[in-house]
Amino acid sequence: MSIQEQYRKKAAELLSSGEVKLVIGYGAGSTPERRRALFARTADDAALLHVDASCDANLSGYLVTEGLLSDKKKIGIFLRPEGIRSVNILAAESQLDPDQIVILGFTEENGTISALQGTHASDFAALMTALKENRTPSEKEQALVEKIEAMTPQERFAFWQAEFAKCIKCYACRQVCPMCYCKRCIVDNNQPQWVHTSSHTLGNFEWNLVRAFHLSGRCVECGGCDRACPVNIPLRLINRRMANEVLDAFDHFSGMDQNQEPVLASFKKDDPETFIL
Amino acid sequence: MTKILLRDKLDDCLTRWHAAGFDVVGPVRKNNISQYATVEKADELDLGTILPDRTLKDLFFPQTEPMFSYRISKQKIDTEEYLPPGRQRIIFGARPCDASAMAIDDPLFGWDYQDTYWFKRRNETVIVTIACTAADEFCMCTSLKLAPDSTQGSDILLRPLGDNRGWQVEELTDRGREAFSRIEGLLEESPAQTAALADVPVKFDLDICREWLQNPENFESHFWKEISMRCIGCGTCTFLCPTCHCFDFQDEGDTYTGIRRKNWDSCSFALFTMHTSGHNPRSTQSARWRQRIMHKFNYFPGKFNMNSCSGCGRCTRECPVDMGITETLQEITKLSQ
Repeated sequence: MSIQEQYRKKAAELLSSGEVKLVIGYGAGSTPERRRALFARTADDAALLHVDASCDANLSGYLVTEGLLSDKKKIGIFLRPEGIRSVNILAAESQLDPDQIVILGFTEENGTISALQGTHASDFAALMTALKENRTPSEKEQALVEKIEAMTPQERFAFWQAEFAKCIKCYACRQVCPMCYCKRCIVDNNQPQWVHTSSHTLGNFEWNLVRAFHLSGRCVECGGCDRACPVNIPLRLINRRMANEVLDAFDHFSGMDQNQEPVLASFKKDDPETFIL
Repeated sequence: MTKILLRDKLDDCLTRWHAAGFDVVGPVRKNNISQYATVEKADELDLGTILPDRTLKDLFFPQTEPMFSYRISKQKIDTEEYLPPGRQRIIFGARPCDASAMAIDDPLFGWDYQDTYWFKRRNETVIVTIACTAADEFCMCTSLKLAPDSTQGSDILLRPLGDNRGWQVEELTDRGREAFSRIEGLLEESPAQTAALADVPVKFDLDICREWLQNPENFESHFWKEISMRCIGCGTCTFLCPTCHCFDFQDEGDTYTGIRRKNWDSCSFALFTMHTSGHNPRSTQSARWRQRIMHKFNYFPGKFNMNSCSGCGRCTRECPVDMGITETLQEITKLSQ
């Protein structure tokens, strides 16, 4: 049985038995290559689910839709490893109860999809350790990272200036991000207006830098922001760089488990504190 | 015999237009994005693109625009107004949907008062449109009763020649004729075979949709919740829409000195309708998506007798969660059948 048939069957069973009230998965999109979020409530809906290499969205952000989990009922969700990491962070940050989440996990290697064993976020500990040990960006991404790292500070500033100049402040990066669940984002606070809303050079730098810091140690590198950006800013690189920093400085790999302390909101006596002169 | 503009004469045209004081703007691909931008040479133009990622509205209604600066002192308030720079422009290679969109927004920016920023730029710009010989699966101009060779909003329409050597010239307005009089001698008079236009299938029935939207019973339909459930509430569809025109005023600075700016805003954002009291009359994403559809295909046509959509398809093409006007209007068409 293909993973798609297997997961359609599993989703149908979960829904028919009443174990979950909803399965969030992928359905057919507007073109043969596209997949879109599908909210299955019945066994019939489950027959429309897809699982294949085109299912790239991290759907975990839908879990924190206001009121969705407040009835304490369970929800099934199709997740890649990055999505499972997101669930761990959302649990660690008290945004959801992981016992309410039934994971139908899958992973992709060289375009081939395979099912992940386990259904509860805590079932994937070995996978998380393996992900931490084996952080390899794609060749294309690595080439760009190396190109940027080799730049002088002035060149690098010019590079990001040109990229951020394209930003139109549509906030697709924020809205698509499972970690950006704030009811009111700092940029939407206008008394006082902390961050410029204008999409000029300063405003665009402010927004993208604020976002980079807010996601440091929290981003799971699902690439959602990068794919969502309608003006093709390579946002993934910023988050990748920050994730590297946090890993080097604090040995922190975001979303390892549901009890992980938020790295920038916790204190350890043996923190190196090398930044204090 | 018709007027022909040959591709290899384009550089000479640009030189003439530049000499006559025009900026030349056209589709340019740079930094992994295609948009209408100023060019010096013809080879900078990306005329092969089906549709630039960004729209023509950027050139008339920029995403952020300073309106005036202010300085408040004990005795007086000083203000300095900013107006768009007075530059004559020729947009070469607009797409018919993008040009149409400018004509759609004209009555909006002029119905109760004349928006100085919009009309100053409109009056200084000549739009030279190239008819489409190719479309992608998101194009939907024909569903909006427009076409790959619509002339709405254009000053000149160029029809690509079958042999790809250039374009047949259709002069539509006096402004277009004036701009093309500057390149007289560079145009040829010869018989021409134009290339076949793009085949853009009709995807929904606009009249049926309008009727459904006008029925008050459908305002609270469960349809709106279902269709917008995956909407994440970003501004991609509105900001990349050639006709979406909502804006917000922002004072940057402090109580005594600063700049007032006009910034794009989006009905997709929760903050868009947030009241000072904290009450939000459009408190759900489904209410916001309904507003967007209602505005474009019910309220706007009710007021201005045209739809606030030119069928470019960017809302679906660029949507991070694969939503868009096409799907919604297709579903409404189905509901009514």
